[in-house]
Amino acid sequence: MSAQALLEVHDLGKRFASRAGRDSSLWVIRDLSFSVADGEFLTIVGPSGSGKTTLLNMIAQIDVASGGEVRFQSEVAPINDPKSLNPGLSCRIGYVTQEDNLLPWRTMLQNVLFPLVVQGRLNDETRARAEMLIRTVGLAGFENHYPHELSGGMRKRASLIRTLVYDPPVILMDEPFGALDAQTRTVLQEDLLRLWNLGRKTIIFVTHDITEAIALGDRTLVLTRAPARVAGEHKIDLPRPRDIRGILTDPKFIEIYQRIREQVQ
Amino acid sequence: MTSQDTALDLAQPSQVKWRQYVVTAGRIVLAILLVAAWKIGADRAGPIYVADPFLVANRIVTDTMSGELVHHVYVTLRLSVIGFAIGCFFGVVLPFLLRRLPRLTDAIEPYIMASVGIPKYALIPLFILWFGIDDAPKLWLVGLLVFYPIFIAVFAGIRNVDRRLINMARVMGASEAMISREVIWNSLQSFFFAALKIALPRAISATIIGEFLVGNAGLGFFIEYSRQNFDTTGVFAGIVIATALVLVINSVLVRIDRRLNAWRPTDRDMEL
Repeated sequence: MSAQALLEVHDLGKRFASRAGRDSSLWVIRDLSFSVADGEFLTIVGPSGSGKTTLLNMIAQIDVASGGEVRFQSEVAPINDPKSLNPGLSCRIGYVTQEDNLLPWRTMLQNVLFPLVVQGRLNDETRARAEMLIRTVGLAGFENHYPHELSGGMRKRASLIRTLVYDPPVILMDEPFGALDAQTRTVLQEDLLRLWNLGRKTIIFVTHDITEAIALGDRTLVLTRAPARVAGEHKIDLPRPRDIRGILTDPKFIEIYQRIREQVQ
Repeated sequence: MTSQDTALDLAQPSQVKWRQYVVTAGRIVLAILLVAAWKIGADRAGPIYVADPFLVANRIVTDTMSGELVHHVYVTLRLSVIGFAIGCFFGVVLPFLLRRLPRLTDAIEPYIMASVGIPKYALIPLFILWFGIDDAPKLWLVGLLVFYPIFIAVFAGIRNVDRRLINMARVMGASEAMISREVIWNSLQSFFFAALKIALPRAISATIIGEFLVGNAGLGFFIEYSRQNFDTTGVFAGIVIATALVLVINSVLVRIDRRLNAWRPTDRDMEL
């Protein structure tokens, strides 16, 4: 790894309480360790049910861990006690979830400004930033639309820039483009890479789509089936900026794809 | 902007407007039929049992002109509004407090649910005994009758809030107070307004029933006084005014709901 680790995960585990009648409790994630460097785009692939969402929920601290620790800039996050959880680690970890989770009673613009409002940081400068992001992802003109008046792709974009607008150092993304059609998905992947190029945030992007993981990431981790562990790590040394549509035929891409494919069961 | 990302078309076809006219016409016809049926019924049953609709209309006009009905309506409305405000306040605030105390909630929930079953009107004699014959017993009755539907709806609404929205707000740094105000309060609006549609007419009827028993003014007093004097026309006039009051309040409520909750994808509320 080139730069110093920004976020480290050590021996992280998650166990769900056993159902009545069974002795052994179910570990979804066990002894999972990895780290992310500052400004790195890390992608994580794993089969469905491998606890990817649980992993991000624990890092975001909306879910408790059953073991292990998460460190942010060497500071240990309180993830083992439900009472001391600090969701978002004081606005330093952003989280773009699988569903857009826009507030249906707020217009698109109000949704994008929401984190700035709750953090008391809404001013001319941050508002201008929000407007810039809205223009960058092509949502200009839809500021006063309610979420139900927007298409799925537009809602996804809004939820993406709602997290980017308050500029958290780390952003977690949980299959954000999972529910979209192939065409929209490609456009959004391009949008995401463009936005990432603007700020070079640290991103942990979880997906079950190997192609997406390679096309977006600097490095890809492959998870095993539950209990999830790291099955392999792949450096994606494809040049940037990348052409999402053209990359599929790149021999290097195909070679990485084959390697990852063998590890994903 | 890509081509597939056009916003949904929300324009209403002109057919809708035409259909609206048919519905309105149908309602007018129905109203005429109802009054006609009332008139026939009145003629058959005699003035002691069913008052003539035209005499009732006449009575409403003269008593309104004299200011008598206006005073009664004012007294009833004043009490309904105060009682409603008290019941509504506790009905909204208590569930929000209980949300923060899940153990206490679990402990007292069966008691709350059991107290729902108490017939509140049966408590009037006790209220009179405890709180005298002024406004207090009526306010207790109205307050309690308003409290329960609102409390239950807000309570259910809070439990029904999408956890994912709350988590999202937490990750973005929202405090618990902000989450209550922004995410939870807005999420339960449809529950709250559904409860209001029950609670507001209830507030009026509870006041009227209270006035049957206690007091010397208000629509309930007017109806009961007329009955004691075998003035069936007066009874009917009071009922018509009470009904009109509830209808006006309901239509104002529907309008407020629509204004505040314009974001809701579909709005299928009945409108008068």
